[in-house]
This record gives sequence, structure tokens and C-alpha cells, in this order.
Amino acid sequence: MSRPKAVLVALTVLAAVGLPFATLVIWSLADRWFFPGLWPQAWGLRAWSYVVTTAGGQVITALWQSVAVAFVTAVVAVLVALPAARALGLYSFRGKDAISVLLTLPIIVPPLSVAMGLHLWFIRLDLAESFIGVVAVHLTFCLPYAVFVLWGVFSNYNPDFESQARSLGASRWRVWLRVMLPMILPGVIVAGLFAFLLSWSQYLSTLIIGGGRLITLPVLLFSLMGSGDRPVAAAVSIVFVLPALVALLFSARHLGGKSLAGVR
Amino acid sequence: MGALSLKDLHIHYDRQPVVQDFSLDIGDGEMVALLGPSGAGKTTILKVVAGLLAPARGEVIIDGQVVNDRPPEKRDAVMVFQKPLLFPFMNVNQNIAFGLKMRGDDAARRSRAVERILALTRLAGLGPRKVHELSGGQQQRVALARALVLEPAILLMDEPLSNLDANLRQEMRELILTVQSELNITTLFVTHDQAEALMMSQRVALLLEGRLRQVGSPRDLFHRPADPEVARFFGGGNFFRGRLHEGHFECDFGRLPVTAADGNGHLRTATIRPEDIQLATAPVDLPDSFAGTVVRTRFEGMATRAWIRCPFGELVVLTAESALAPGQSVRLRLPPDKIRVFSEASSSE
Repeated sequence: MSRPKAVLVALTVLAAVGLPFATLVIWSLADRWFFPGLWPQAWGLRAWSYVVTTAGGQVITALWQSVAVAFVTAVVAVLVALPAARALGLYSFRGKDAISVLLTLPIIVPPLSVAMGLHLWFIRLDLAESFIGVVAVHLTFCLPYAVFVLWGVFSNYNPDFESQARSLGASRWRVWLRVMLPMILPGVIVAGLFAFLLSWSQYLSTLIIGGGRLITLPVLLFSLMGSGDRPVAAAVSIVFVLPALVALLFSARHLGGKSLAGVR
Repeated sequence: MGALSLKDLHIHYDRQPVVQDFSLDIGDGEMVALLGPSGAGKTTILKVVAGLLAPARGEVIIDGQVVNDRPPEKRDAVMVFQKPLLFPFMNVNQNIAFGLKMRGDDAARRSRAVERILALTRLAGLGPRKVHELSGGQQQRVALARALVLEPAILLMDEPLSNLDANLRQEMRELILTVQSELNITTLFVTHDQAEALMMSQRVALLLEGRLRQVGSPRDLFHRPADPEVARFFGGGNFFRGRLHEGHFECDFGRLPVTAADGNGHLRTATIRPEDIQLATAPVDLPDSFAGTVVRTRFEGMATRAWIRCPFGELVVLTAESALAPGQSVRLRLPPDKIRVFSEASSSE
């Protein structure tokens, strides 16, 4: 790519990704910003000091809850999806098409109806208003996504690598750890990230199943938005976006070009 | 250090029999080719020896011990697959050291063994390379080195040359032969290429449709095929019927003296290789000959293949005579000592 072109691309990306954030940052730093002002009438750190001090405990708890729920959801989703995706990607068996349709169902059906339907059951099972219950309801749609991502990974995967490793003296267990896992690691990271971000941004299902007992960041964010304090909502939004952004940047090198195929 | 014995193997795949009644003994240090067309079950047999597949029946015996119940990692037999299958997340050194590491050798010992095998397989200096920086031939050599470095009792190779182009193939063939004789590793390798099998092995086992048809030296299989199908696999095209009578084979082409022993009066099939038929363009050149007309020819470089219509049928002849033209009259002679009479009335005829 020539230099001017590269600069143009960089600017476009920056504008598309950066501008919406800029608005958030400006809002969070505005003390007063009334119509029809194009620019805040007064700047200040009121929102941030509220987020850090007054609501600090709340934000920290919510942040921690969000990370915990999203992390556990992602780990469980990947662990459960791995064997399923392996079977779907490597073998052909009866009912495979039916399974792929069933897998898309939780994605098609709105989370609201899923959560409301499950709520009754979760109450009976004593899962409502609990951490496990929220993770379980997040899994209903995170799991299919993880399976789909890993399914693609395994359909490009050559199991002969495992046979070769075993013939070279690796036990079944070590083959999984030393051969299969490194080969599919980029896919595992993508699937885990998908599940993490999906869970991270859940509001409705967390609210319904968590019943207001489990306050994740989105739940806190919505309640602050409802109170009409825009600068504070903006500041919390930034707190909400940052961890996801960090996770994304951290795993960015696994998302793109790096091929999973290897040498066949 | 490595004798392999396969006893009465039956192998099924999806409840379909793939290999039946397969028995083969391979001596220490021997190089045996398992030859057959694709789909004959050759790779399946290798996988059973390696322990990657369980036979429905029969025994795999390595150095006198039945190893049927041993998992692949506990068998002293290493398989090299048709594709190099180098682990893409490791460099050449790490790939070659993989088996040593699994075995628990320490780092110093590993690097010594890897250096030695790199030199032996002419890969010296390529150790730190990434796998995708290697050419196809180099990848194949690394795959071979990765197996050899373990010094297994039995080396199993699945079409080690089929992924390489002609020049590399010859180079790799020489390398395998050198390394095999140097390390004296008992080797069973699979190929569909009869020339490759004849060139590389001390003995050839021919597998057709899941059954072992003939085992013997390359010369045996080539010159003394057990039945017409074996002959056909090695490029034989001339089959004719006749009766054995008092040391002669009486057929349309005459009364030919043969060495085949008994079977007086029995109807038998005989064959002669295309290159063994003598051909002359002038009648005076050949005694005991008969006339024929050239139907078509195909120039094959060192020789010309000619289809010749005789009064009793068509014969395929491979001759150095390159100036044959369709319609031309020629004289043919079948040297009696080149005629092979099959001992059983063949089912395929």
C-alpha cells in the first residue's frame, strides 16, 4: 500500500472507531451541556469524581461482577463447545443438520423471551437471582456462538496430526495439550472472546434472571441512564467499554490473517 | 532389533472388511514394500501396525511380543504419513525433537540426537527454520528425520515419495535407501508405484483388493507372477490359454517347450511380458516366428509399444524398433523360456 493510501485508511478507521468515543469522552467531561450548544458550556470532572468516589464502590462491584460472569461464561462456553465442535467438524453422523438448526435457535429467538421463559424454571430450580443462574442464561446464546466458531476451526483441522503425534510417542492426554490445543488456539481465543463480549454486554437477561441482585455494569449503566445524568452515564460507559477494548486488542493478533491450517 | 510379524490380520472399516487374511513376516533390518493400487488397504495395514487402528482379528507381533493391546505411543513402531504433518507451531528442531521430548530425554541429549539426524537427512543448518519456510522436499525430509531420530524398531512409511515431483523423488529415494541401510531399521513402506517398490525394497508384498496376492523379491514378482492379476499389475498384457502336455504348452501360437512341471492335459493360462516378445521387420531374421500386422503404436522414449494383430489374437510388444507404422507386416517370436504358465486355472480369465 502506498503511503498516502495508508494514511487515508488509518484516518478512516480512526474516524469510524474514534469519533463515537470522542462524544462519550466529551460528555463525561461536561459539567453543563445544554441545547443548542455544540460544545459543553462548562467543563469539569464532576462525573468522574462521582464515578470514582460517590458511586465508586458500586462501579467496582459491578465491574467485578461483569468480569466474573463474562469470564466464567466464556470459559464454560469454550470447554463445552470444544468437544461438540470437534464432533461436528470432524465426523459426519445422523442428525447433524438438525443439530445445526437447533444451535441457531437461541441466536434467532430474542434473549428477552428466552430469559423470561427460563425465569420460571430457574425459580423452581433455585437458580434465579444467583451467579450460576446468570451464567447459565448467558450460556444459552454464548454457547452456540462458541460452537459455531470452533466448528469452523475443526472443519479445517486435520486429525492426522494427532495420529502422527501418538505414533511419535505422545499419550492421548499429551496430544490434546501439546498438539491439538496449540493448533486450534487462535480459534479458541476468538470463541472465548466472542462469548466474553456477548456476556459482557448482556442487560435484559441479567436483569431478569439476576432479579436486581446481581448488578453487572450494563445493569448499573441503565439505571444511571434512567436517572438522566448524562455525564455520569458517559463516564460509566467508558468504564464499561475499556475492558472489552483491552480484551479485543490483546487478542487482535489471533483474529486476522494468522492461519490455523499449518502444514498439511 | 526389529522383527515384525503380522498374523492372519482381518481389518474392518465401518463394518466392511478392508483387509482379509493378511500375514507377513519381516526380518530384522529388512526393507519391504507393501504394493497395491489405491484403495487396496495398504495404509490401513500400516495404521494397524502403528496401533492407530485395531484389527478385527489377528496379531501384530514386534520382536516376538504381541502388541495388539499396546497403544501407539507404547509401540516401538513409528509411522511417517503421506503428508509431512509437521507441527506448524514448532520449528524444525522442535518438530524433530518432539518424540524425544515425549520420551523424556533431557535437552542436551535431544539436541545431540537432532543434530546428528539433521546431518544424516541433509538438513544441517535448517534446524531453527519455521516449518512454512521449507520446501516440500525439505518438509518430507523433516518428517522422516522426526521418525528416525527415535530409532524405532520398525519404521512405517506411507507413500513417502508421492507428494514430491520427479527430481525430488529420486533424491528422496536415494536418501531413504542410504539412511535405511546406515541405521539398519526394519522398514515397511507403502506405495502404489510398482517401479518404486521394485527399486527400493528387498521384498515386495502385493496387495490387491485387501488380500495379499504375492510376496517375494522384486525379481520374483516381476518375472514369476503368481497369477494373471499380479502379472497385469506389473504391466503384463498378453494372456493366452492352452494345454500343458509333456513339457510343452500347446496354444494358438504353437507348441512351446516350457519348464512348468505337472498338469498334463490341463487348461492353463500363460503370459509373456511385452518386452520379451521378439519382433523383426524382415522374415529371415527370426526362426519359429509367425506373422502379424501392426495395429497401432505408442512411442515411449526408450522403447515403442506396439499392438500387433496375429492370426490368433492381439499381442502387445515393447520393442526398440521405433519406426513401426500401422498396417506394417512384422514377424513375432515368443521365446519359450520367457513364457510363464500359471499353475492354477485362473478365476479372472
